[in-house]
Amino acid sequence: MIWLEYAIMQRALIACVLAGFLMGLIGVFVVRMRLSAIGYSMSHGAFAGAALGVATSINPLATGLAFASATALLIGPIADKARLHADTITSIVFPLNMALAFVFLTLVPEVGLSSQVANILWGSIISMTNSDLVYLATLFAATLATVYFVWKELFAIMFNRKLAQADGINTKPFVYLIIFLAGVVITFSLKLVGGLLIYALIFNPASTVLQFSENMRKVVVASPLVGMSTTVSGLIASLFFDLPVGSCIVIVSTIVFAVALLLSPKRRRKEENNK
Amino acid sequence: MSEDAVIRLEDVSTVYEGESRPAIKDINLTVKRNELVYIVGPNASGKTTLIETINGLLPPFRGKVSVFGLDIKSNGQKIRCRIGYVPQDFMVKPGEPYNALDVVLMGRYGHIGFLNRPDKKDKKKALEAMKLIGIEELADRPMGKLSGGQQQKVMLARALAKNPKILLLDEPFSNLDPDSRGQIPILITKLHEEKNLTTLIVTHDIHHMLDDCNRVIVVTDGRITFDGTPENALPLIENHPHTATLEGHHH
Repeated sequence: MIWLEYAIMQRALIACVLAGFLMGLIGVFVVRMRLSAIGYSMSHGAFAGAALGVATSINPLATGLAFASATALLIGPIADKARLHADTITSIVFPLNMALAFVFLTLVPEVGLSSQVANILWGSIISMTNSDLVYLATLFAATLATVYFVWKELFAIMFNRKLAQADGINTKPFVYLIIFLAGVVITFSLKLVGGLLIYALIFNPASTVLQFSENMRKVVVASPLVGMSTTVSGLIASLFFDLPVGSCIVIVSTIVFAVALLLSPKRRRKEENNK
Repeated sequence: MSEDAVIRLEDVSTVYEGESRPAIKDINLTVKRNELVYIVGPNASGKTTLIETINGLLPPFRGKVSVFGLDIKSNGQKIRCRIGYVPQDFMVKPGEPYNALDVVLMGRYGHIGFLNRPDKKDKKKALEAMKLIGIEELADRPMGKLSGGQQQKVMLARALAKNPKILLLDEPFSNLDPDSRGQIPILITKLHEEKNLTTLIVTHDIHHMLDDCNRVIVVTDGRITFDGTPENALPLIENHPHTATLEGHHH
């Protein structure tokens, strides 16, 4: 573990732990509330924003956050007000964000192939600064506190949104909250994993754990741990094979999900029932 | 609204998102306290839409819905805390990470309030509701491992756990086994009487009708085509297996 003696590596490891945990946690709500398409649009919104930041030499974190928030507003309250179906709005917003990202990346010719562009596309461990870690740690505390305080509402909405509403819960603000939180978590983790790959880390840990557990409380505890383990394993793999960290994290996370699918007792039961 | 009127719909039409044709049209309906009303009609006639318009899950496109004298548009959340609702054909997928007690306890969430957690009292009420329905032994079982009938009983317990003033039950007996089909309707009648509930039961099968039912509403093609006593309704319905043919005989 000689590499851990370097500050850059220590920062990368802490970032992997925090970002992996956060994405694993928020992923449970995104997957269970069937917001996957929305989450996908959010990650590309953050990516487009970060691209704008790189092109205009503004902090990509700030522009990424602004774009993710704008996307959250567009696919949350604004789409609801305009009575647009989630599929419709995400089908429009996702390609728009991608188009904007590529326009921004080619807007200033000298930026086109820079390492900064590569960083936001594929992720980079050397890009993580002390400030990034402070932001991630603050977000970590804020997300845990939010989930703790509104757990009852989120628990009911994850079971069935319509029934939660029928029981007197105003579901909309909680769904918007999860969309917004997903956007912020994605933005702050973008530098590490990259805009094109980050969504896998929202989806994979939660989907992995849901193959095994029949207790939602355990899912909410286990998914962040799986997220954290896969980001750390991906980091180690990237150092070992000298490959981009984002790609390694996503490959590890996908392998873990594939193994979970093979071992899933729930799937085995389903197959037995179908026979 | 008269003092006894618990539910009132005035010229209500409801249109589903993305559709131009209303699912229910120009509905005028008053339900008094402690009435036990059956809503019958053919499939896709608008029965479920009517129920979901009453509890505000579907906003009316036109007209006004009042429950307990309050407009559902501006007081939906408050009103729904006092309505026990069992949706039609509710089934969870195998492997759902919720046990039966979790689901019944959710019926209490509206009462508990924002930022609060269910306490021992809430858990006790949820277990009492499960005991009443006869499913207390299922409390720790995962929902996905329960049969359709057991899941329907869990949903009934969830509706009762909130101590409702109104019960809206959409095809509540459809998945029950033959034994439960005998017991659960009797239990609902008993609760309706003992707790002074106002109960609306949707069914497309008139053989499920309870003896204590004092009013039958027939919904056909989104409109109320009959509203009267079971004595008057039954011969008509029995003579017309497709209740659509009731249109024109009444009103």
